Amino acid sequence: MSNSPLYFDIAATTPLDKDVANLMNTINLENFGNPSSIHSFGQKSHNIVERSREKIAKILNCKSSELFFTSGGSESNNIVLKGVLEKGDHFITSSYEHPSVLGLTDELQEKGIEVTFIKPNQDGMLNALDIKKAFKENTKMVSIMYVNNELGTINPIKDIAQFCNEHNILFHTDAVQYVGKKNINLNDSHIDFLSIGAHKFYGPKGIGLLYCKSGKKVNPLISGGGQESGLRAGTENISSIAGMALALEIAHNTYDENKKNILELENYFIDTLNKADINYRVNGSNRLAGIFNITFFNVQGHSLLMNLDIMGIAISYGSACSSGSANAPLALLEIGMPKEEAACSVRISIGKMITKQDIDKLIKSLSAIIVRIQKK
Amino acid sequence: MKKKVLVAMSGGVDSSVTLLRIIEMGYEAIGVTMKLWEYSDVGGAENLQENNCCAVSSINKAKMVCERMGVPHYTIDFTESFKKNVVDNFVDEYVQGRTPNPCVRCNSFIKWDTFIEQAEILGAEYIATGHYAKIEEKDGTYYIKQGDDTKKDQSYVLWGIPKETLAKTILPLGDLTKEQVRDIAREHKLETADEPESMEICFIADNNYKRFIKEYAPDKTASIKQGQTLNEDGEQIGENDGYINYTIGQRRGIGVSNEKPLYVKEIDSDTNTITVGEKNSLFKDTCKVKGLNWLINEPEFPYNILCQIRYNGSRAEAVIHKQQDDFTVNFSTPQLAITPGQSIVFYLEDTLIGGGIIEL
Repeated sequence: MSNSPLYFDIAATTPLDKDVANLMNTINLENFGNPSSIHSFGQKSHNIVERSREKIAKILNCKSSELFFTSGGSESNNIVLKGVLEKGDHFITSSYEHPSVLGLTDELQEKGIEVTFIKPNQDGMLNALDIKKAFKENTKMVSIMYVNNELGTINPIKDIAQFCNEHNILFHTDAVQYVGKKNINLNDSHIDFLSIGAHKFYGPKGIGLLYCKSGKKVNPLISGGGQESGLRAGTENISSIAGMALALEIAHNTYDENKKNILELENYFIDTLNKADINYRVNGSNRLAGIFNITFFNVQGHSLLMNLDIMGIAISYGSACSSGSANAPLALLEIGMPKEEAACSVRISIGKMITKQDIDKLIKSLSAIIVRIQKK
Repeated sequence: MKKKVLVAMSGGVDSSVTLLRIIEMGYEAIGVTMKLWEYSDVGGAENLQENNCCAVSSINKAKMVCERMGVPHYTIDFTESFKKNVVDNFVDEYVQGRTPNPCVRCNSFIKWDTFIEQAEILGAEYIATGHYAKIEEKDGTYYIKQGDDTKKDQSYVLWGIPKETLAKTILPLGDLTKEQVRDIAREHKLETADEPESMEICFIADNNYKRFIKEYAPDKTASIKQGQTLNEDGEQIGENDGYINYTIGQRRGIGVSNEKPLYVKEIDSDTNTITVGEKNSLFKDTCKVKGLNWLINEPEFPYNILCQIRYNGSRAEAVIHKQQDDFTVNFSTPQLAITPGQSIVFYLEDTLIGGGIIEL
């Protein structure tokens, strides 16, 4: 067993893939040209950006002209919500979205946009019919996350997008937790807008994507030099764009292998947990492999996190704020979990660098802490 | 295995040096910052100093100091409990015409119990804070003694902590002066070495308690209009701005001219009047005490002790009497401006033995 810290929090962010880091270093050192410049320096950078765009378009099965580089998932979500909705529109979203969607709704409402929040069911998913039932004359757009970040549950995005399409309603999905973990075919979908962040699939931080289906209009958030077809001004982050493209390519080429490994680790985790005689419950169904939200009854999530951290193991509890304190996870309250149980629920997410020995160490530490705390 | 100590980290120089000393003593330290207050909730935040203890910048400093020393750091949110047990009480006390001491209340009802509880959760045996006071053991019993730096001594604010927590508490700064603490911090190049002293009331960013009370509890304060200012014979000699704007012993801002300076002598919240008098009329040789806490086994009464009736005040000889459940303190020399709501703290020589809240 190694003594280096163990990281079970890939749903928060992933480490940077080594090949990606090397590529980015090389580009940072060698390709500093401004992609908008006409000279050879600029052309080189321009081509790196456009090749990356094409690479990603191929993987997502969309046109490269439908992809816009942003600073990440939060920015992509902001562009869509603020750049599509107007006064008098009706907007439907869920009550357990990422803060970069939920946090905007007050502002939207102040602007005169009507917002309906759909609650997830007890299994942590949204019912497509619930969303359909909320459609109104003036419903302009629906925004639903592909995978919930706290629970790892996958929403019926295909059905929701289909319903929206049938009613001429725009559909946006925050796919930050999904893309890079499972295949997606945008050409074959009714998704109009989709947000991606590279740091969830072993890519760099501070770079993401917005997919906008051809012909769907969005107003820019940042105007200026006309980059990204005028949707997002600012000199392109060349190395990060190339890094994201490579990271997505690596993820894409290893979906099956990765999924198999992670499922095996998941099963091993549950088996070992059962043997350890720990009272727990995995929350949510139809989960993405590798993201667990688990309630350890009568053990405060924050206490468990701190204790594990002291032992060199990182897991997640609740939504961290700037001061580093944490509140019970909102998503759990939204699926109807009592507050006391939500406060005893943590997220453990398993990445590709995790081994069975790591899981042994995690569960050994978990048991020791839980036994000690419950004795009190 | 090293014993673990939970160190209360405010992000100031005192707690940073506390951490340093705990590590030097051979313990394994865990840094914890209690987040007690959200400044943006109640105005005044535009005057927020960087060193206000619950400000993000202070918490960041605490994290940096911990990381530099290889110590984990966590922030634990106690804003709800702090609001209920300290801030609400602070406002209520003023509304009743009294002068509360929120630091004492925080130590008595939140800090110690909570830190001990968190220590247990994290498998730590002790807690440590940066108060200028000492804990000494004698024959298996633990006592709080005043800090060696008498100017900085903070034992006064510790009278209310639960007695049984003393055995689990380490106060590593008790034998240092503030200057020594700063020197140690500079020597170790700690981020907090030159942090200014924290302000008086941690949750009032601009230190303007009158504004705070009005904004925090408009429902309780809006009806408090101008009232009468009376002389000692009960005759009106002026108007006051509403009794919550005054404390006993206050001299400035009374708004009545007199040959000799006048001081607030009494505050009556029922009639919204303040009574003023010359300094010599504010001396009293007795007061009642409520909410006592003993840090030794409860003594037999009458009991001769030294009493301190305000932070940084001097100590006076006195006798505590007990009649049924009522405690009265009789001072051997009259004391100036004994203020209801403030703490009266008992010492035997330099040992803190308990305290209570002053009543009239």
